[in-house]
Amino acid sequence: MMAFDRIGSFFDIVLQIGADPINLAVLFGSVLLGIIFGAMPGLTSTLGVALLTALTYGMDTSLAMICLLAIYVGGTYGGSYASILINIPGTAAAAATALDGYPLACRGEGGRAIGLTTTSSAIGTTISMLFVVSISPIISHFALQFTSFEFFLLAFFGILISGTLTSPDLVIKGWIAGFLGLFLACVGRDQLQFFPRFTFGVPELDSGIEVVPVLIGAFGIPQIIQVLKERFQIGETQKLQRILPEIGTVIRNFPAIVRSALIGVGIGAVPGIGEDIAGWVSYGAAKNTSKHPETFGKGELQAVLSTETANNACVGGAMIPLLNLGIPGSPPAAMLLGALMLHGVTPGPMITFEHPTFIIEVAAILLLASCAMWVTGMALAKQVVKVLRIPTQIFMPIIGVLCIIGSYSLGLNIFNLYLMLPVGIICYFLTEMGYPIAPLVIGVILGPMADENLRRALMVSQGSFMPVFTRPVSLILFIVIVLTILSQFAFYRRFKDKLVAKILRRDSCEAVFDEK
Amino acid sequence: MMDKEKLRQADLFSGSVICLLGLWIISQALKMPMKDSWGGVQNVWYVSPGIFPLFVGAMITLLGALLIRMALKTVGIAGARAVFAWLISSELARYLTSAPMHRFYATVAVFIGFVFIDIPRIDFFLGSVLFLAAFITMFYLDDAVLLKKLLGCYLAGTALTALYFLFGLSARLANIIEFPDDWLTLGFIVVYCAYAWLLTRNDAALRRKCKIALIVAVAAPFIIGPIFKYFLLVPMPTEGLVTTLMDAIRYGEF
Repeated sequence: MMAFDRIGSFFDIVLQIGADPINLAVLFGSVLLGIIFGAMPGLTSTLGVALLTALTYGMDTSLAMICLLAIYVGGTYGGSYASILINIPGTAAAAATALDGYPLACRGEGGRAIGLTTTSSAIGTTISMLFVVSISPIISHFALQFTSFEFFLLAFFGILISGTLTSPDLVIKGWIAGFLGLFLACVGRDQLQFFPRFTFGVPELDSGIEVVPVLIGAFGIPQIIQVLKERFQIGETQKLQRILPEIGTVIRNFPAIVRSALIGVGIGAVPGIGEDIAGWVSYGAAKNTSKHPETFGKGELQAVLSTETANNACVGGAMIPLLNLGIPGSPPAAMLLGALMLHGVTPGPMITFEHPTFIIEVAAILLLASCAMWVTGMALAKQVVKVLRIPTQIFMPIIGVLCIIGSYSLGLNIFNLYLMLPVGIICYFLTEMGYPIAPLVIGVILGPMADENLRRALMVSQGSFMPVFTRPVSLILFIVIVLTILSQFAFYRRFKDKLVAKILRRDSCEAVFDEK
Repeated sequence: MMDKEKLRQADLFSGSVICLLGLWIISQALKMPMKDSWGGVQNVWYVSPGIFPLFVGAMITLLGALLIRMALKTVGIAGARAVFAWLISSELARYLTSAPMHRFYATVAVFIGFVFIDIPRIDFFLGSVLFLAAFITMFYLDDAVLLKKLLGCYLAGTALTALYFLFGLSARLANIIEFPDDWLTLGFIVVYCAYAWLLTRNDAALRRKCKIALIVAVAAPFIIGPIFKYFLLVPMPTEGLVTTLMDAIRYGEF
C-alpha cells in the first residue's frame, strides 16, 4: 500500500512541477546551460552546479533543486559533444566516450553517435531515478539505527574510499587530501564548546570556513589556471549530420544499457566517486562482455552507449547516499549538498521526517530533467556545438568573474573571496602533484559530521571505544575501513595471495582425494 | 600532472610540507583545553575541542611520513639529493622563468589584483572590465612577448593603485571629487587598452583579436553584473561610479 502511495505522490509531484511554466522554463534553461557547460572543454558539471548555487540562493528550495539537478544532468550528458566531435572530453565523465565517439564522427556518423548518447543518457538518468525512489526508504530506515559511532565511521569511510578511488597517483595522496579537507573543516569555533580553533584571532573565521566558496575555489580556480597555463586549444570540430534518437540500436542493446545503468548507480552511490569512473568501468565491462572486443576503440556504438548510460546513471546513484546519509556520492553532489544546506535542508536519515516528500521530489526532477535533456539534445545539439568555436582564452576569464561574484553573493561577504582564491591556488598545486581534489572537498563537507559525532559518541560511552566493536554496523564499518587501508600495503597483498593460494591448493587436494 | 619519476621527487617536497603541517596542527591542538575548564565547563579529554584536530594532525603527519618513505624507496637517497640540488641550481631559475610559468604568474597576478585590491575598493563593473581586459588580452593574443609586456603594464598599474590606497590618497581625493578610486581605475583601463592596441597595431590578426578581447571585456560585466544586481538583488561588493549610473538608469532617476 505504501509503495502505491509513493508511486501516486511521485506522479503527483511530476505533474505539479510539469504544469508550472516557470518550472519548465527553469528546467529547460538549466539543462541547456548544463549541456553548454559540459560541452565546453575545461568546464565541468561540478563547476556549473557551483556557479548556479549562487544564482539559486534567492529561489525557493524546490525551484533551486530543479535548476541544480537539471544542470547536473545536462552537464554530465553535454561532455559527450566535445568527446565525439573534437576528441577532447568536455568533462572527465565523457573521457571514455571519446575512444569510440570520435572515430564514429570521423567516418561521418557524428550525428548518429550524438543521437545515441542523448537517448542512452536519458535512459541512464531515468533508471537511476527508479533506484532513488526504491532504495532510499530502505537506506533511510537502516540509517535511522545509526548512532554517533556509525556516523563518525561512515564519514571516515567516505573520505578514505573517495581518496582510494579518485587518486590519479598514489592512494596515500587521496587520503592526505581527505585529511586536509578535514583540517579545513576544523577551522572556526567548535560546535560543542565554541572554542576557537585555528582562527588566528580573525573574527570572520569564527563561524568556520564557508563550504560553497571553498568548493568553487577548489574546482574552479585550478581549472582556469590549468587551461590557460597549458595553452589548451580546442581542435577542429567534425561535421555533425542529422541527429536521430537511434531507438532501434537502443532496443538491440537493452541488456548492455541495464548493465551500464547498474554500474553507474552502484559507482555513483560510493562516496566521492564521480561519473568518470562509472564511464570507464562500464566501458571495460562492455568490452569484456562483447563478442567483438576488437571493434572497441574503432567506433563501436555499444561502447558509446555503455559509457553514456553509466555516467548519467551515476547522477541518481550519487543522490542515494547524499539524501539518506548526508554523504555526497560525487563532486557535483558535494556541491548540491552545500546548496541544500544553504536552503535549510539537511540531508540525512531524518530527511524523510523533516521533508517527507523531498526524496520523491528529487526523483521527479530527475525524471523531468532526463526528458528535458532528451528534447534539448535532439532539438538543439547542432546549435550547442557552436560553443566549441569559442576560444578557451575568452571564456575562462569570464568563468573567473562568475566564480568570484558567485562566491561573494552566497554570504555577501568579501572574506569568502579571500578564502576562495588561496584555496584555489593551493588546490592547483595539489592537482599538479597528483593529489585528487574530490576527497579534500568531501573532507570539508564531512568534517563537522565526523568531529561532532566522534566527540558525542565518546561522551556517551564515557571515553570508551568499545561500542565500535560491540555494535554490528560499527564493527562492519570498522572492518571495511581497516581492510581498505590494509589493501594498499604490499605485506597485506602478499598475505592475501598466500592465503588464497593455500585455500585453492587445499580445494584441489580435496577434489583429487574425492576423485580417488 | 607531472610524469611518475618527477612526481616521486616532488613527493619528497610535498610530503615534507604535509608532515610539517601535521606537526603544526598537533602542536596547536595540544594547546586546546584537554582537561582544563573552558567557558565554565570542566573538560574531559574525549569532549575536548582538540581531540579531532589532534586525530587529523596525527593522520596528516603519519601519511606525510609514509609518502616521504614511499618516495625515498623509489628515487633513493641519490634522488633525494638530486631534488635538493635542483632547488639550489640554475635549473630552478630556468623553470621559474619558463613560458608556462609566465602564464601561471599572469593568471595568479590578475586574480590577486582583482580579489585583494579591486573588489573591496573599486566599483565592481570597472574592476571586472579591468580584470577581463587584462586577462583576455594576455592569453587570447597568444604571444609570449606580448604577455610579458601586458603583464608588466598590469603589474605597474596595480602597484600604483596599491600605493594610492596605502598612502591614503583615496580619502584625501574624495573631498575634491566623487568616486576618485573609480576615475583612477577608469584611467588605468584606458591606458591598458591603449597599450594593448599599440602593441598589436602592426599585425592585422592580432589587432582583430585585441578588438574582440576588449569588446568581450566591456560587454561581459554588463551582462553578468545586472543579472546579480537587478535580477537576484545581490548588492555588488563595491558600488561606485558605474553602479550609481546604472541605478539611475534602472530606476529612472534622471
